[in-house]
Amino acid sequence: MIKDKPGFLAGVLTLLAFVLLWQLVSLLFLAAFLPGPQELILRLITVYSDPTSYTVVWDTLRRIILGLGFSMVIGGIAGLIMGLHRHVEAFLDGWIMVLLTFPAICWAFLGVLWFGLSDIGPVFTTVLIVFPFVALNVWEGTKAIDKEVIDMAKVYKANRHLIVRKVIVPQLMPYLFSSMRIALSLSWKIVLVGEAFAVGSGVGQMLVFHFQDTRVDMMLAWGVSFMVFMVLVDVLIFRSWERRAFRWRHQVAT
Amino acid sequence: MASTVVHVDKLTKKFPAPGGGEEFVVLDAVSLDVKEGEFASLVGPSGCGKSTLLNVIAGIEVENEGSVTVYPAAESADGAIHVGYVFQSARLLNWLTVEDNIRFALEAQGVPREQWRDRVTKYLEMVGLGGQEPNYPLNLSGGMQQRVAIARALAIEPDVLLMDEPFSHLDEITARKMRIDLMEILERAKTTILFVTHDLREAVYLSDDVYMMSTKPARIFRHVNVDLPRPRQPEDPRLFDMEKELVREFFSVLEQQAE
Repeated sequence: MIKDKPGFLAGVLTLLAFVLLWQLVSLLFLAAFLPGPQELILRLITVYSDPTSYTVVWDTLRRIILGLGFSMVIGGIAGLIMGLHRHVEAFLDGWIMVLLTFPAICWAFLGVLWFGLSDIGPVFTTVLIVFPFVALNVWEGTKAIDKEVIDMAKVYKANRHLIVRKVIVPQLMPYLFSSMRIALSLSWKIVLVGEAFAVGSGVGQMLVFHFQDTRVDMMLAWGVSFMVFMVLVDVLIFRSWERRAFRWRHQVAT
Repeated sequence: MASTVVHVDKLTKKFPAPGGGEEFVVLDAVSLDVKEGEFASLVGPSGCGKSTLLNVIAGIEVENEGSVTVYPAAESADGAIHVGYVFQSARLLNWLTVEDNIRFALEAQGVPREQWRDRVTKYLEMVGLGGQEPNYPLNLSGGMQQRVAIARALAIEPDVLLMDEPFSHLDEITARKMRIDLMEILERAKTTILFVTHDLREAVYLSDDVYMMSTKPARIFRHVNVDLPRPRQPEDPRLFDMEKELVREFFSVLEQQAE
């Protein structure tokens, strides 16, 4: 990342410009309606100096991890099977379309009705909305698989398990990574919505609570801090993981 | 008398014509025998079904009529048949290191794990790539990648090694060096080879036996024995003479077909 100086600089400049713009716009409104950056920092301190806040964050985080995890596994397997078997493709294709077009808000309500106030509701909602995207992406990836190396593997009598593990999955890695990015950004938004509806805990519930008190500053404090956290997860965990996974490719440039 | 390793008997292979209609015959009652330790070449114009023959021998395509038999070496412990294959392009798994690419074939063939390390070292050295184990294929030149593919094929210690125009994607200078090196490698590995090419000079230089194939019908019309001592020099005038004679024959067959 250090090597990428122009990109880093551009990022800092964008952020500074954004804060400046925010400051200017906030001067035009009442602080209760749109607080400026300094107020936000004060509210962030309020939020994170309260130990119960960490329980709230953990509740939400746990649901995101579960939702993301199940979505990746179910979506990955569905996409892979669809790519490898033509008759399953025809069968699952319809299901994926149904799931993709079904309104997300319906799932959120149904999640509450079916599972009540537990972790299962928001996780269920997240998985049903996110996994079709993952499946679609991975399925797309299977179409780009190099058939020549599969023939090579067959000539050497590699069994199915070995072919999937060493020949097919590595070729799907770029698609899995891009799916995971999309899945993460979708998951955390959906989990918050699910929590706001009914779950009675987590960051979503905090947003509802502050909404009822019309505390825009507190809502922003929760929203922004969660955003920062998710960006950090993306940059620190996913990107470095991706760099490691594509070592064989990056070496080419050196 | 060397024993037969590959026995192809009146092999016929047809593909359905695109859009229905009459089937397309790519191999029409083709017969040939490759003896143990022999280097046999199959020469023919592009699209004459040479690669299909290799694919049937390798077991990834099924014959319509006739038969293909590969006999395992007498000393083979498990009685399994091992067929090595070198393609036109290297077909390496770019996300695996050179070592893991060879291990992939060893694992696929059920070679005991204890032997992997030794085999990787032995055959990489044999193709002149000792020390390249941890490198990734995309860091290697096209010629080096093809050497890895050859090492991979040799590492399974095949009963027969099938090579499908393995040097056709390389520039002529690299290809020339590869041919010379292949001769030396085979001197040591003592592998039985069935080599497919459209390059008669290459075939004559490398082979003990040359089978010549025509397109329509897809048949072997000539079998020549190249009775020249090894090591051979690529510039040997006797090779040129032989090549010239075979090229003449090819043209006369093509003309007959045109009539």
